[in-house]
Amino acid sequence: MPKRTDIKRILIIGSGPIVIGQACEFDYSGTQACKALRAEGYQVVLVNSNPATIMTDPEVADRTYIEPLTKDYVEQIIAQERPQALLPTVGGQTGLNLAVELAEGGVLEKYGVELIGASLRAIKVAEDRLWFKDACRKVGLDVPASALVNNVQDALRLADQLGYPVVIRPSFTLGGTGGSIAYNREEFAEAIAHALDTSPVHEALVEESVLGWKEFELEVMRDFRDNFVVVCSIENFDPMGIHTGDSITVAPAQTLTDKEYQRMRDAAAAVIREVGVETGGSNIQFAVQPETGRMVVIEMNPRVSRSSALASKATGFPIAKIAARLAVGMTLDEIPNDITRVTPSCFEPTIDYVVVKIPKWQFEKFSGADTTLGTQMKSVGEVMAIGRTFKEALQKGIRSLEPHTPWRAPADTPVSLLREKLSTPRPDRIRWLLVALERGLPPAEVCELTKIDPWFVRQMEDVVLLAKRAAGVTVGTVPHELLREAKRNGMSDEQLAQIWKTTPAAVRHQRAKARVAPVFKRVDTCAAEFESYTPYLYSTYEDEDEADPIAQPKIVILGSGPNRIGQGIEFDYCCCHASFALSEDDYETVMINCNPETVSTDYDTSDRLYFEPLTLEDVLAVIEREKPQGVIVQFGGQTPLNLALELKRNGVPIIGTAPESIDLAEDRRRFGRLLEELGIPQPRNGTALVPEEAVRVAGEIGLPVLVRPSYVLGGRAMVIAYDLNTVQEYVAQAALMGPARPVLIDQFLEEATEVDVDALADGDEVVIGGIMEHIEEAGVHSGDSSCVLPPVSLSPAVLDRIREYTKRLAQALQVVGLMNAQYAIQRDTVYVLEVNPRASRTVPYVSKATGVPLAKVAARLMTGRKLAEMNLPLTRTNGVAEIAVRDYYAVKSPVFPFNKFRGVDTILGPEMRSTGEVMGISKTFGQAFAKAQLAAAQRLPRKGTIFISVNDRDKKQLGALGRDLAALGFKLVATRGTAAALQAAGMEAEPVYKVNEGRPNIVDLIKTGKVDMIINTPLGRESFYDEKSIRRAAIRYNIPCITTLSAAQAAARGIRALHEHALEVAALQDLHGKRASTHR
Amino acid sequence: MGANLDDEESARPYIEGLVVREFSSLASNWRSTETAQIYLSRHEIPVIWDLDTRALVRHIRKVGALRGIVCTDGTPADQLIHETRKLPTMAGLELASRVSCEKRYEWTKGSIELTASPWREEMGEAVSEAEAQRFRVVAYDFGIKQNILRLLVDHNCGVTVVPARAKAEDVLELKPDGVFLSNGPGDPEPVTYAVQNIRHLMGRVPIFGICLGHQLCGLALGGRTFKLKFGHHGANHPVKNLLTQKVEITAQNHGFAVDPDSLPASDVEITHVNLNDHTNEGMRHRSLPLFSVQYHPEASPGPHDSHYLFRQFTDMMKETKLSNAFRRGLKR
Repeated sequence: MPKRTDIKRILIIGSGPIVIGQACEFDYSGTQACKALRAEGYQVVLVNSNPATIMTDPEVADRTYIEPLTKDYVEQIIAQERPQALLPTVGGQTGLNLAVELAEGGVLEKYGVELIGASLRAIKVAEDRLWFKDACRKVGLDVPASALVNNVQDALRLADQLGYPVVIRPSFTLGGTGGSIAYNREEFAEAIAHALDTSPVHEALVEESVLGWKEFELEVMRDFRDNFVVVCSIENFDPMGIHTGDSITVAPAQTLTDKEYQRMRDAAAAVIREVGVETGGSNIQFAVQPETGRMVVIEMNPRVSRSSALASKATGFPIAKIAARLAVGMTLDEIPNDITRVTPSCFEPTIDYVVVKIPKWQFEKFSGADTTLGTQMKSVGEVMAIGRTFKEALQKGIRSLEPHTPWRAPADTPVSLLREKLSTPRPDRIRWLLVALERGLPPAEVCELTKIDPWFVRQMEDVVLLAKRAAGVTVGTVPHELLREAKRNGMSDEQLAQIWKTTPAAVRHQRAKARVAPVFKRVDTCAAEFESYTPYLYSTYEDEDEADPIAQPKIVILGSGPNRIGQGIEFDYCCCHASFALSEDDYETVMINCNPETVSTDYDTSDRLYFEPLTLEDVLAVIEREKPQGVIVQFGGQTPLNLALELKRNGVPIIGTAPESIDLAEDRRRFGRLLEELGIPQPRNGTALVPEEAVRVAGEIGLPVLVRPSYVLGGRAMVIAYDLNTVQEYVAQAALMGPARPVLIDQFLEEATEVDVDALADGDEVVIGGIMEHIEEAGVHSGDSSCVLPPVSLSPAVLDRIREYTKRLAQALQVVGLMNAQYAIQRDTVYVLEVNPRASRTVPYVSKATGVPLAKVAARLMTGRKLAEMNLPLTRTNGVAEIAVRDYYAVKSPVFPFNKFRGVDTILGPEMRSTGEVMGISKTFGQAFAKAQLAAAQRLPRKGTIFISVNDRDKKQLGALGRDLAALGFKLVATRGTAAALQAAGMEAEPVYKVNEGRPNIVDLIKTGKVDMIINTPLGRESFYDEKSIRRAAIRYNIPCITTLSAAQAAARGIRALHEHALEVAALQDLHGKRASTHR
Repeated sequence: MGANLDDEESARPYIEGLVVREFSSLASNWRSTETAQIYLSRHEIPVIWDLDTRALVRHIRKVGALRGIVCTDGTPADQLIHETRKLPTMAGLELASRVSCEKRYEWTKGSIELTASPWREEMGEAVSEAEAQRFRVVAYDFGIKQNILRLLVDHNCGVTVVPARAKAEDVLELKPDGVFLSNGPGDPEPVTYAVQNIRHLMGRVPIFGICLGHQLCGLALGGRTFKLKFGHHGANHPVKNLLTQKVEITAQNHGFAVDPDSLPASDVEITHVNLNDHTNEGMRHRSLPLFSVQYHPEASPGPHDSHYLFRQFTDMMKETKLSNAFRRGLKR
């Protein structure tokens, strides 16, 4: 069917900031959708609050709005742009929910906007648990049996009939509160009573449990002509009961017979038809009882999803791109397959390899969080690995995680602990599984404890047996066949080195002698049946190599691996930009990365894509095959930087800033000496290996001090110590955690303003890319702090000094490319906190704020081009060039995953914990801040009651804030001390009980909706429990909670702006004017 | 994983050998009754594993389908190549009568249902209006897959399977409502006896052909067949139904194809085309009750998108029955 001509302009809603469960896979899908629709001649209007996305690059859509994803703002955009259609299916759950809100709120009707891709009815049927079950039953499909109950007797009768365990879901509670699983009658009786009490309508759903069943997903597509294809089947290694986002998953499904698979395929087709998703991609989940083969439908997503991104990467079938085309009326048989060029997209990919996805968790960032995996997703990222067998893919996947050093369990681990490690799923279960098999636990018992399919356990047993055989020889005596077998089964040089008690280099040397080297095979959607034109490759140990490198100047870009807190989409954005720029400069670009969620691993992004672990072994293999002119390591965050020196030692041509300079900047002592030479102040600092030394150093520096390990990103495990005891404990703990790496101890600058600077340098000239002033004071990790560009409170003299220092530092480090510097300004003295001669987290934000794509420019500088040729819009102050700031403010605000980690304190500190960021743009700082807060789901109130509780230090400065808030019409309530401080400053404030003082206390007020905003700065240890419960209640009831005074002041300005200005939105294309096109 | 007898498609597997990248030694599926190794050993089928199968596929893609020898006794490679060259090629090879049944038999088994929900009462009725009518089908076995027979039974057919060389007259004596022409191995051209039989049956009884059966219909209708470079194999071939404009994902396994240009356009309508290489996948006679497809609508293994063809066959038989009755009525 030809595409629709009655539509010209289509609105796409992005998924907003990166949060757990909704990450950059939606940048990938949204970007694909934009590109596909524009290629078909449609105008695309895009809205997304996340500036770190490729989709919000002004060249991706015709009109790009970085605005809060709320009904009001999007309505304003619709009024301004008047699109005829809205594609709601590529922006994750956020995009879908917002589209439903717009439809139900009458906005779409008012402006004549049609939902394409999924109808309102289809979305609602798919999203509502009971409606969905009914739809499945209607077409004869089996679902977990369930019924609604409203008294304990009926519930017990039902549960007895269903058998235990049984699932309880109270009706209409917030976020599934009160839901549970009961394993026996007694537990159930208690749980159902509680559930009925929790439910406002005294009702609960009692459902048959499918815990421990095999879990599968099908990624399917359907078009207007009812053509239906399954793009990919995915099997969860971990059984039902663990969220699929937290499960190791395998594509294609490994343990189904054709009969079972086809039954599932038929069911998927029936479901998508009955639910009424007329076009596009859907994800449908199934559970299969292993003993009987009974299959039930679990749920569906009527949109592209995390799994569809994975399926696209796993098969080479670009689901989002095709879904967008189907939404405008094209049919699958009209769309050519990019990879084969001659065949249509109306087919089902054949896979002649195995793909394994492994989630990445970061519980170490959230002390107090429960590490048990369950039905709520907790991982922050994932890796994908491709191998010719499951074993090879699994082992490649494990080493794609970082740290990738093979992990050994203590030899004396008791069997009882092993059993516990297997039966309770936690992030490290896969490693314990190997340990258990190695220790001789019978595979049948392993299956019983884990409910993992025997086929997978047998595969792991094979790996263990192979490792045992390898242990029987040495690196010098290993027969070539055994070495090849080990590599063919995915064992890394590091793993073998550990078995043979030698170095990976020695294993590598032995491999070279034995001619055991990897080959590269193509991902081609068709198992080699047709020729492929997209070099999308993976390594394996086979006979034939298909890499077929081209003799053309080429640059390899190393990606950033799995998303982590502190190393996420921002770095992928930079890698993509490097690739785009160098491609424009006629280089062949080669990307290496292992993160399936990203735009960088779209086969469209670079000329060649190697889906490989970012380890020395795997990266060297690609480089040896490709023989590039240059390798870029400074865009992918710490992951490629950690490889830089070793790569250089192996003769790899690293371009841009020399690895030695990067190393120098990381080395506190050498860098400290450099700063002294340059005459740039820095906080007093020292390093220590043992507790006693640490206490001495801290004493010399003077308290408070900031203590942290060396070589980290995202401020992992930093603390601010106000006493020597804390210092001592910290160092003692750090020594336990790993090999002796020094602990860094810095003078902590209290009440200082922190500033981030991104700069470009070509080895001679330096250009300041952007100066960002943090809203939270120094001490809050820069990634967790809101910041504003241009700065709002810094004096011209301070700004000049910052520019001057930045220039001197970039020149001294001979930076070629990007550099990020962090400063603290305390009483007009500018201290350097940290310098990183590489791309930083803020690069995309600065680029969006200024309209100059810094990473693209940097990539060009790295190939030898000069700043002077870049035609940048510059201003010069005292001889330092800077990208001209605009006549608006851009505020960046972080987004935190606290709602996923019950019991974790939300207080900000030197440890970064935010997963994503948003940006607010406006003519005034206040409004930009309010927008950013709103985009980060901190909806600043226009009126109402504000609760204030601050520490003694902040009490001194409370007057101005209190007056501002009172002037804005807020009623103030406060804890006794704070209320007294406010009253002393001449304001009315109603005292309220702390949690331990009596009732109703502050938490009661929060629960009953009597508080609209909370300002709570940390008081210290004594009141820790009290404060934590206030902040947790704020999260639970979704009330903005501000934990620093400076942010509270910014919030007051934001609220004032909300009072004074009407809601306004602006497209980047208008804000940037002609600038966006001047950089080439 | 492993093997189970319910999923067998013929009395014994007809492959000469199996080449895989990795061979699973485990039987773990709830339906499996033995390991694949035991199953294959019982049928004396050798397995080569740990091979770069993708390289093999790419080689065949480049040079076309090849003959091969599996050898474990250490015979030197050049001697094996020499022996392989002496093997007959598929072109010109009549294999149907070699794999066909020897004697006529009745088939009564329908498809097995995997697992029903234990909570049946709460489930909706599966949508299927029972057809009151039963049909008598004679199925020519040129190497028939049992799932075809199961699906015919599911569609209310009583099935008599006859050997490849069964005479048309003998078949008609069984008074069938329809004749089915099965899939099978080898080159269709030398299967001249079947072509003769089809010509005799055409117009006398509704005919449905699959795969080799389709090619034989093509020859019977005056067309030509030719050998494909490496054939169509697998469960993901997109086929477009030109009558409905809908695409079916199909299971295929054939080395020869009907040349659509060789068919008399006045008699034959092309109904299906392969979207990968645009070769012919189906046709029907413009006036006589006959249609056939090149692919495997019975799948097993493969997707079930084309099951509707069995319904089409019973509809065709129903219609023919009605019009025959009508004609008989007129005569009376």
